[in-house]
Amino acid sequence: MSERIAIAMSGGVDSSVAAAVLKQAGHTLIGVTLKLQECHDAHGSKSCCGVDGITRAREVAGSLGFPHYVLDCVKDFEQLVLLPAWQEYASGRTPSPCLSCNERVKFGLLLDWAARLGIPRVATGHYARLEKDQAGQTMLLRGCDTGKDQSYFLAGLSLSQLDRAVFPVGHLRKPEVRALAKNHGLPTAETPESQDACLVAPGESYSEMLRKHFDAPARPGEIVDEAGKLVGQHSGIHVFTIGQRKGLPAGAPARRWVKAISPETGQVTVTSDVSELVDTEFVAKRVNWLAGDLPAQPLACSVQVRYRHPSEPATITAQSDGTLRVTLKTPVKAITPGQAAVFYSGERTLGRGWIG
Amino acid sequence: MSSIYADYNATTPLDPEVRAAMNEALDVSFGNPSSIHSAGQAARRLVDRARAQVAALIGAAPDEIVFTSGGTEADNLAVLGVAGAATGERGGIVTSAVEHKAVLDPCTYLRSNGRVVTLLPVDRDGRVDLAALEATVKPNVALVSLMLANNDTGTLQPVAEAAKIAQASGALVHSDAVQAAGKLPIDVKKLGVALLSFSSHKIHGPKGAGALFVRYGARLAPLVHGGRQERTLRPGTENVPAIVGFGKACELAKTRLDADARRVAELRDRFEKQILARTDGTRTNGGDSRLPNTSNIAFAGLDGEAITINLDMLGMAVSTGAACNSADKTPSHVLVAMGQTAAEARSSVRFSFGRDTTDEEIDRAANLVVQTVKFLREARP
Repeated sequence: MSERIAIAMSGGVDSSVAAAVLKQAGHTLIGVTLKLQECHDAHGSKSCCGVDGITRAREVAGSLGFPHYVLDCVKDFEQLVLLPAWQEYASGRTPSPCLSCNERVKFGLLLDWAARLGIPRVATGHYARLEKDQAGQTMLLRGCDTGKDQSYFLAGLSLSQLDRAVFPVGHLRKPEVRALAKNHGLPTAETPESQDACLVAPGESYSEMLRKHFDAPARPGEIVDEAGKLVGQHSGIHVFTIGQRKGLPAGAPARRWVKAISPETGQVTVTSDVSELVDTEFVAKRVNWLAGDLPAQPLACSVQVRYRHPSEPATITAQSDGTLRVTLKTPVKAITPGQAAVFYSGERTLGRGWIG
Repeated sequence: MSSIYADYNATTPLDPEVRAAMNEALDVSFGNPSSIHSAGQAARRLVDRARAQVAALIGAAPDEIVFTSGGTEADNLAVLGVAGAATGERGGIVTSAVEHKAVLDPCTYLRSNGRVVTLLPVDRDGRVDLAALEATVKPNVALVSLMLANNDTGTLQPVAEAAKIAQASGALVHSDAVQAAGKLPIDVKKLGVALLSFSSHKIHGPKGAGALFVRYGARLAPLVHGGRQERTLRPGTENVPAIVGFGKACELAKTRLDADARRVAELRDRFEKQILARTDGTRTNGGDSRLPNTSNIAFAGLDGEAITINLDMLGMAVSTGAACNSADKTPSHVLVAMGQTAAEARSSVRFSFGRDTTDEEIDRAANLVVQTVKFLREARP
């Protein structure tokens, strides 16, 4: 059945092919590119959000024969995604802005905007699938291309958001997507992978870009080892992430990793014992559960503690306060506060919590 | 079903006679009008002829016409040019709150450089308050700029009356006639203006040409330097093909003006009558004294952008005052200046018809709008 669908187009190959797939299926499409930054903030970045993306998306929509619009989200993106991300970095945590962007911008603002136009559904080029279970409940499944699967980034969407989402390339593998782009003669067939890091200038860290963007002060402090011995000074806690090895003072006898970050004192603790970095248990807060009610009994599933990380067998136990206690079967390195923990049962995404 | 173009205030299709005239300039008389040889002379003659055609549309003398790249440049040259030539105490600018950005933005620029700029308020219909003008025009005012017709609403301004008031104090008067030219008869002498801008592509000419009428004796400083073309007010080799097309477009507009205006006004009225009769919560913006082709309609409770995009999906081209924006959408500054709330202003859509609009298209357009409004009212989340 032909539907009215708004396709979010970054100008990259995935969303371009998603559009081509929907167009071929006979749907009535409008293309929308979200403008997330001002041109003068782009620093020549080749990221997914730049003006070059808008130009390419317009070209693709024109070649497939449907209208294309630019939705200016600069102010909202700054407030809903960038500012909270900076606040996380400033408090010694490592945010996952792509999840907030999907939840609040692509399937927030864009979904609302499309609804105002009388367009009930929004499609994206994410590698994830939607299916119904036997009870008719929507399930978010991993993309068929295991190397590209993006269900992790979508696990924070509510069921009502997912019910209005369309992921036309979720069942495809990247080489198939590229081949389809060629077959359709899309001008984006050869575009490089986008980096999922909006606003970043080449060679600059995301956190430092955010600090400059908000003209915020850095929180400098000491770097100490586990014994409390001074190792060096740093110019701001926002550039550190739990488990990080790069950017620590040189000259140590052994490799060292960031073990803890204290926003109160500005102190960064490092360890040369990698076993110090591993954990078997953590708490996932602000849980978005996609598989009915939270499990009443401890549930064996798998958990992914960051993107591009293998999922680990775990048992989750719902706490009375709505959080989940996650017990890992084998210890996992660098479970990082601020990152999302996404729970799976096989291919199915069960839910998302934030690592506390 | 063929598409419907109802955005003539944005731009117009090229007239076939204009195209034919341009072809000569493109293919045969390619010379540089400043060259002394025969090829140059042939091009010069084309520019001369175009200048006379353009002047005739507004009752000016040919050498009172300065060719520019378009309406925006003509407006900039008028505002910044007068400011640049102004001497002594007389440096202030008075304009209206509903001008096109091509006038408002140069005024903002001047203000940031220390000039006194006054924006005159308008009434609910968008007409400027002449009493406010009278109170504002003092001997320190160098320029009064007031558009002949508004691009969003089509509202006509009392430019002749304003010019009388302004001239009494010695200020120069400029009028942005980009929307009015070709739709209304214009006589710069009767209007009493010293400067008047208009544009080629709004009257079925090519993009890339416009003109500023500069009355004999009016002093302007050029914005661009580097040659003696256009009385040194706008140096640079002339865009001969576009100027030739502009000239032809002015000639056609002059001969067709009365008949075209009468016909398009009937079509516009018929369209409006249908929309008002067949939809609820609908009213027109801009009062009764309007351009014959423009219909700005507010659809209570709806989003003009949603109507525009849905009509686009159905093959009908219309316009809203603002670009798609997720955050505190900036509605048309014109409707806001007319005292409308942001929500009211955002509910408005501009329909503008023209030479090629047919009876059949008007009825089909009305049907599409009625159908879209009904759909959006039902689909409202």
